[in-house]
Amino acid sequence: MVQLRLAAWAEVQTPAGEGLLEPLVSLSLLCFYSLGIPLLGMQAEQHQEEEEEGEEEKEGSGGGCEPEGAFRKNPFQLTVEDVYDISYVLGRELHKISSEPRGEMAAKVAHLQFKVVSVLEMLEALVNESNLTVEALKMERDSLKREVEELRKQGSHSAAEEVSLGPNKMVVDLTDANRPRFTLQELREVLQERNHLKAQLMVVQEELQCYKSGLMSQKQHPIEPTHKEPAVGSASGSSTGSEEKTIVKRLFAFKRPR
Amino acid sequence: MKTTLLHVVPPVSRDRIISHFPKWYTPEACLQFKDHFHAQVRSACQRQNIGAVGLKISKVVVVGDLYVGKTSLINRFCKDVFDRDYKATIGVDFEIERFEIAGVPYSLQIWDTAGQEKFKCIASAYYRGAEIVITVFDLADIQTLDHTKQWLEDALRENEPGSSFIFLVGTKKDLVSTAACERTELDAIRFANEMQAEYWSVSAKTGENVKEFFSRVAALAFEKSMLMELEKSNGRMTQIGAGNLINIERSSLEASETNQQDNLSCC
Repeated sequence: MVQLRLAAWAEVQTPAGEGLLEPLVSLSLLCFYSLGIPLLGMQAEQHQEEEEEGEEEKEGSGGGCEPEGAFRKNPFQLTVEDVYDISYVLGRELHKISSEPRGEMAAKVAHLQFKVVSVLEMLEALVNESNLTVEALKMERDSLKREVEELRKQGSHSAAEEVSLGPNKMVVDLTDANRPRFTLQELREVLQERNHLKAQLMVVQEELQCYKSGLMSQKQHPIEPTHKEPAVGSASGSSTGSEEKTIVKRLFAFKRPR
Repeated sequence: MKTTLLHVVPPVSRDRIISHFPKWYTPEACLQFKDHFHAQVRSACQRQNIGAVGLKISKVVVVGDLYVGKTSLINRFCKDVFDRDYKATIGVDFEIERFEIAGVPYSLQIWDTAGQEKFKCIASAYYRGAEIVITVFDLADIQTLDHTKQWLEDALRENEPGSSFIFLVGTKKDLVSTAACERTELDAIRFANEMQAEYWSVSAKTGENVKEFFSRVAALAFEKSMLMELEKSNGRMTQIGAGNLINIERSSLEASETNQQDNLSCC
């Protein structure tokens, strides 16, 4: 059992690169204490330990995240808690070994324990550092993703506008009452009609002037006296049946209700 | 609505009666120096049954930059009014002004075109058949003088070469000092000579030279069309003036409208 644990431990500690890092603040060490596991050479009552161990194992098997789980984890997913779990398990195993009655054995285990602690401290530092880096990189990635998303939206917007507009095109605000809305052809037609009506009006005005100045006699154009002519329609009653087709009379006839 | 009636026109007002050939504005840029009508024209006019139905109508086209005062110039002459407020002409407008020249009724159909670029393709449809082209600029804005060449070019493109009399008119004379006016006139006269145009400085606001200018336009156009008419009818002995004013007016208007149809593809 002890051998098995040590083998698993060896697997975990190998990638840590023993001896490359100086042992830092001894969190792992504190962990040994905090878990109530005395370091080798310290006096402890074995019964107590065994009771605690039993409890741990019960809890561990029930919860499915017992300290031994840390050994089976992907090394790149290790958390600092896992390192503490590892140090707890190792500490417990070493304690069991050192509890054997052989005195020489106990001294060797104590020596080994310090090495294990320093490796665990290296592991702790590495895991801490890498987890922080991973967090920072994740945040960086998310913000970049958002940025790309926004830029993509803007890009597709402006691209869409350019496609629908092209050169020599303009945007018309459909809510603007003064927006351009009539075609050139419509304007031409309106102008033609205006010119036509203006020409007719000129002819009528000249004829009116003729009547006023008495150039045309009452005989020729039996219309009411000139001063009444501007009064719409009704004044032309007397011209009914006349054969003459002056513009003035046509206009007046047009206005007469039938 | 076709008018078939014999259109009786009232006599023209006194200030539209031209019996002596109106004088030029400056001898340095004028179309002709004579101070009397052509002998042939004079005798033809004497044979003419005076006071009969209208004879001839000539088409005048007024072009130039926006806000130089084309409409104001026409309104001063035709209606004797001046409106201080600027109102851009939409497309084209026209006035018909009747004269009695050497005892013969004669009319000018004056087409007032929009100076705004956006109306150019509408207005340009009315350039065709212009016997007189009046290019207008603002004496107080020398840039508008520079643009007259382009306006003239556009107007002449629609007409037979040499078929139109050309006038160059500087407006708003009241706005510039005599000295400034004289300076600008030097440039304008040079332009006029290059354009083979007659030069006039006028003010629609005060009315200075406006009547004189249009009388000159009418007399020159009248004489030219009389001579052409005489040339055509030589040998046929057709009496000049056997026409119907309304029909002439109408056909002339319709011609302009037909021109528009022809020119639809221009825009």
